[in-house]
Amino acid sequence: MSKELLFISQHWNIEFNHAAGETASVFFRAIKERKEILGRRCPACKRVLLPPRSFCERCFVDTLEWVKVGKEGTIEAFTIVYEQFRGLPKPPYAIAYVLLDGASTAMVNFLKKVDLNNLQEALERIKIGARVKVVFKRKRRGRITDFWYELLHT
Amino acid sequence: MIQAGIIGIGQTRFVTRRDDVNLGELAREATIIALEDAGIEFRDIEAVVFSLALDALEGMENAERWCVEAVGGCKKPCIRVHMGGATGGSALHTGLFHILSGLFNCVLVVGAEKMGETQDAQSILNLIFDPVYEREVAINAINMCSFQAIRHMRKYGTTEYHMALVAVRSYKNALKNPYAHIKKEITVEDVLNSRVICYPIKLYDCCPRSTGACAVLVASSRFIKKLGKKRIAWISGIGSCTNSYFMGDRMDNSGLNDHADAEGLLIAAKKAYKMAGISDPKKEIDVAEIYAPFTSTELAAVEALGFCEKGESGICNEKGIFDMDGKLPVNPSGGVLTSNPISVTALVRVAEAALQVMGKAGERQVKGVKNAVATGEGGSLQFYTVTVLSKGI
Amino acid sequence: MRVAILGVGQTSYEREKGISLDELVFEATKNALEDSGLNLQEIESVVTAGSDGLDGRAISNMTVSGSCGAYLKDEVKVSDGGIYGLVLAYLRVASGLFGNSLVVSWTKSSEVSPDTVGNLSFDPLYLREAGINPITYSAIQVSLYKHITGARDEDAAKVVVKNRGNALKNPLSHLKRKPSVKEIKSSRFVSYPLREIHIPPESDGACALVISSERWLKTRKKTGQKYAWIRGIGWSLEGYYRDEKKELVKLSSLRKAAKTAYKMAGIKNPAKEIDTAEVSDITAYHEIMIYEALGFCGDSEGIELVRKGVTEIDGELPVNPSGGILSSNPIFASSLVRVAEAALQVMGKAGERQVKGVNTALAQGFTWSGTQGSCVVILDNRI
Ligand SMILES: [Zn+2]
Repeated sequence: MSKELLFISQHWNIEFNHAAGETASVFFRAIKERKEILGRRCPACKRVLLPPRSFCERCFVDTLEWVKVGKEGTIEAFTIVYEQFRGLPKPPYAIAYVLLDGASTAMVNFLKKVDLNNLQEALERIKIGARVKVVFKRKRRGRITDFWYELLHT
Repeated sequence: MIQAGIIGIGQTRFVTRRDDVNLGELAREATIIALEDAGIEFRDIEAVVFSLALDALEGMENAERWCVEAVGGCKKPCIRVHMGGATGGSALHTGLFHILSGLFNCVLVVGAEKMGETQDAQSILNLIFDPVYEREVAINAINMCSFQAIRHMRKYGTTEYHMALVAVRSYKNALKNPYAHIKKEITVEDVLNSRVICYPIKLYDCCPRSTGACAVLVASSRFIKKLGKKRIAWISGIGSCTNSYFMGDRMDNSGLNDHADAEGLLIAAKKAYKMAGISDPKKEIDVAEIYAPFTSTELAAVEALGFCEKGESGICNEKGIFDMDGKLPVNPSGGVLTSNPISVTALVRVAEAALQVMGKAGERQVKGVKNAVATGEGGSLQFYTVTVLSKGI
Repeated sequence: MRVAILGVGQTSYEREKGISLDELVFEATKNALEDSGLNLQEIESVVTAGSDGLDGRAISNMTVSGSCGAYLKDEVKVSDGGIYGLVLAYLRVASGLFGNSLVVSWTKSSEVSPDTVGNLSFDPLYLREAGINPITYSAIQVSLYKHITGARDEDAAKVVVKNRGNALKNPLSHLKRKPSVKEIKSSRFVSYPLREIHIPPESDGACALVISSERWLKTRKKTGQKYAWIRGIGWSLEGYYRDEKKELVKLSSLRKAAKTAYKMAGIKNPAKEIDTAEVSDITAYHEIMIYEALGFCGDSEGIELVRKGVTEIDGELPVNPSGGILSSNPIFASSLVRVAEAALQVMGKAGERQVKGVNTALAQGFTWSGTQGSCVVILDNRI
C-alpha cells in the first residue's frame, strides 16, 4: 500500500434568511424610501444608537424614540484594505466608522471616492476627525450598502 | 477551602498544517503529553472541558463530540465552551469552576485547531459580524483590530514603529520556544517595509494561522497533595468581561470604554488581581502571556493590564521594559504573533504562564517568577479573560 | 454549595417570530429577570448556550451579548443545548466565585434549515456523506429500538397525542392542536419508521433562567418566593460512533447522567420519588427510550408505561406536562425549556399545566444532533 495521505474536500452551503426585525426594518425603509438615517434614543441614558437597536444594552430598557440624524459626520476609525481575502471585495478599499451628527455611536460603512493606490497620499486625506457625508445609491434595496461615506471638502 | 492548580501541560508543535492526524488525534497528542507531565493516567481524568472555537473553521459543527474518545472523555462529564479567541481562557476558568464546586478533583482542559484545512479564514471571520448592519462592509478579524490601532495612534501618538518593536521582540522570543510556529529573526525595517494588509496593520504585525493542540490538567489541592506533586501553578485569580458587540458603540468620545483601549481587559484584570491579592501589577506580576494576534493589540493590552499608564506602551517598548531581560517580560513564548491556533491560543497563554510559574519554561524561562498573568481575547475585541497563576497560594 | 432557580423567562414559541435574534433573546432575559425579582445590576454572571451554525453567526453570542444582559459582565458561551448552559452556570455559582447567574439559550429555526446544519455535525470522513442528519440518525435508532422492544406505531402515536394534548394548556406552545389518531396514522414517513408527526416542529424561541447560591440569597431581603433547588445534576458524553449494536439505543450517557444526578439528590427509586419529568422527546419514540434510561421502568418496559397511561398528565408520573419538544422546539433552547418547565412545576407556577402536588421534578436534555451526550437535573422545593 502507498503511504499517500488523502483529503476529503467539503464545501459548506447553508442559506440563511435573517429577520432584521421591526427596528432595523424601519431604518432600512427610511434609507430606501426617504434617504434618511434614523437612530433610536434610549430613554434612560439618552444615547442615540446608530445603527438603531430596539433596546439599550447598558440600561436594559426598550428604546422607543426615533431620531433623524445628520447626513454628515466625523471619521472615528478607519482602515484601508490592500489584501485580497477570499470571498471578500477586491482591494483596495477603505472602511470607516463615522459618528454622524446627532448620533452617540459610530456606524461603519465603506469610504469611497478616494484614490487608495498610494497609501501615503490617501492618508493625507483620510484621517480620524475628517468630515464626511453620506452618499446614497440611486437604486436602493434596503441594505447597509445602500449608502457609503465620502470625504467633505475634497 | 478548596484550591485549584495546574499539574500538567501538553502542547504540540504549532505548524501550518497536519495532514497526518484528524482533530481528535491532534488533541490526543497534547493530552498524552499533559498526562505524562502530571504523572497521571487517562482514568484519573474525571471531567473534560473542550476548548474549541469556531465550528466553521474546523468544518464541523460541535467537533468536540468527535474527539471524545481520543482525549479519554468517554462516558465522563464533558462540556465545550466557545468564546472565539478567548475560548481557551474561558475553558480554563470552566475547569477551575469544576474543581471549586467540589464535584471534581481532576479535570482535563483540552482543544485542538486545524484551521489550516480552510483557505477561507477571513471570510469565515467576516461571519462573526452582524448580518443586518455590518457584515456587508467587509469587516474581518484583521481590520477590526486596525480600527483599534488607528484610534490608539490618534489618541496617544502611538506609531507603526512602536508596533514594529512588538513584532521584533515576539519573533526573537519565539526562537527559543520549541513549539512556536514562526521561527525567524526580523528587524524593525522588515516590519515597516512589509506589505500593508489593512492599514495600519502590515504583514509582520499579523499572527499566522496555526494548527496544533494544547491540554492543561487542573486539579484540586486534595488531589495534588495525594499525588505528592511539588511544582504547581496555582490559579490565584480570574476575571472575564464582555464588551459591546458593535465597535462603533466604543467610539462615542465620552472618554469611557473607548475602542482605542481594551476596556474589557481592564475590567477583567481588575477582578483577577483583586482575587489574587495583587495591588500593584507592575511590581507583583513577573511575566505575562498576552493574547495579541496583532502588534497593536498588545500595546492596548499592556496598558489595560496596568503594566504602564494608558498611552505609554509605545515608550515602554522603546525602553525594552517588556523584553526578556526587561522589568516585565511579555510573551517569552513568542506569543500569538508567532503561533495562533485559535481554539487553543488563549489556553496556550495559560500553559506558557504556568510553565513560567513552575520553572519549566526551558530556554524561555524568566528568572524567579512568582506570579504570571495570561489573557484571552475574542469577538470584536469584545470578550476578555484574565488568569493569574502563582507559585504559592 | 446549594443552588436554586429563582426565576424563569420564556418567549412564546412560534414557527416564525418576525423579530431579530437579539430582540428574541432580550425578551426572554427580561422575562427571567422580572420573574426572579432581580435587576440586571445584581447579576454577576451570564452563561449563554447556542449554535453558531443555526444562528448563521460564526460566534453567535457576540450578537446576543447585549440582549442577554452581559454588557461589561462575566459571560461565557457553551456551544451546546441550553441545559448545558445550566450545567456551567451551576458550576460557576457552586464554585463560590459568583453569587448568581443568568442562563440564556435560543434558536431561530425559521432563519435556516436545521437539518442541513445538523448534517454538518457529523464527521466529514464517514457519516456526513452517508446522509446522516439529526432525523435520519434518530430514525436508525428508533428502528433498532422497535426491533428490540416491539414498540409499535400506536405507542408513538399515544405519546404524540399526550404531549400535543398537554400543549393545549401551555400558552407558550407552538403547536396548539391535538391531532387525531387517524391523522397520525396517515402522517407521511419522513425517514422510516419516523412519521412527520413523530418529529418535533421547528420553532423560534428563547428561554432564560436566573439561578443563585443559598449564600447569596441570604444577603437579600426575604420575599416569600418559592424556589426550585437544584438537588442533583449529572451530565455525560459517550463515544462518537457507538458502533456496538445496542450502544446505539442504550442511551448510555443518559443513564450515566441520571445515575450521577440521582446519587447527588439521594434518589433511590426514581419512579416513586419523582413527581413529574420534562424530557427531550426529540421523537415520540425517544420519549419512551428515555423512560427506560431514566429508570422509570425496566429495559424494554417503556411501552408499558405508555400503554397504561402512567405518564399522562393525570397519571402516576406525568411526563412533559408542558407539551414537550413535540409541541415547541426552539432547538438549542429546547433542553433549557425542560429545566424551566420543571422549575415552574416545582415552584407551583405552571398555571393550567400544573401537575398537582409536585415537590420533586426531573429535567433532561441531549446534546443536539444524535443523542451522544445527555444531562439530567433534579429539582425540588424543600428548603
Ligand atoms: Zn441606555
